[in-house]
Amino acid sequence: MNPLPLGLGVAAAALSLVGLASLGRALDVQITTVQASTHGPSDAQLLGLRPRLRRLVGYRSFRVVGQERRSCTWRSSEAFVIPGGRALYVVPKAMRDETVVMQVRLLDGPRSLVDTDVRLQNRGVMLFGVEKDTRADEGALIIMLRAEE
Amino acid sequence: MTCPDVAELLDGFVDAELPGPMLLAVARHAAACPACDGAVRELTGLHEVVERVGRADGEALDLTGVWPAVAAGMARADARRAWGRRLRAAPLWGVALAAAAAAVFWLRASEPPRTRIAARPNQAIIERLDSGGARFELRRERKNGTTLIMVSGEGDEAPE
Repeated sequence: MNPLPLGLGVAAAALSLVGLASLGRALDVQITTVQASTHGPSDAQLLGLRPRLRRLVGYRSFRVVGQERRSCTWRSSEAFVIPGGRALYVVPKAMRDETVVMQVRLLDGPRSLVDTDVRLQNRGVMLFGVEKDTRADEGALIIMLRAEE
Repeated sequence: MTCPDVAELLDGFVDAELPGPMLLAVARHAAACPACDGAVRELTGLHEVVERVGRADGEALDLTGVWPAVAAGMARADARRAWGRRLRAAPLWGVALAAAAAAVFWLRASEPPRTRIAARPNQAIIERLDSGGARFELRRERKNGTTLIMVSGEGDEAPE
């Protein structure tokens, strides 16, 4: 028996297994929606983040209004429902130098508020804010996106 | 705006990174509060000292070693040219072999050292941003690199 075809077959099988293993590693995406207002108490789970949120957003009170964590498949669009009739679409594209390359779209009903291509540090958090939220009396809606491979 | 509020916003105020109304609020408070005014002046002074020291360091930079290094580089280049003249006199297969070996060695040796800049935990690079006509603002926090894309609640209809 010629050992060459056998060797090639084993190599191809090994490569396929490596490919399948990398495809199976999904991206873990966590979306936390926070209502920011000028007055009122803040949620205990946000106390550690409060100074940073205050510096970035400029409000005093932060309350979690929604939270969802999901495993997203690479190169496919995943929709997260945001309280108040909005939706966040995340398309994880690739991992590059310890960063997650993804497309993120924030929609308010049929209206597109943000459509961005971003490279976020693995296990990092980025924020999307919608100011002068018409559905609330005042304040802003903050969407925290955390991505981890 | 209270003194503890000002203390928390002090860094952002001195760096002019706060939103306009908040900058104004801190300035108003500091104008009426000697303690906060002092804190603002102290931090501003510190920034100026750091800037001055940086400038002085730049001016004191010693460049006397530059020309000797350039001369040494020119000498090396001349030596390489001399090797080229010698190689032209050598047999073709020998030249090809030596060139291949030198290329492998050169490629390995000339790989630039990889300087890895530590990325901040939340660092995000925005490669493209379309706000669909809505007004937006990009804010970034320095310590962790947290990025916020703030949009007003009005935008275009999303394409199908």
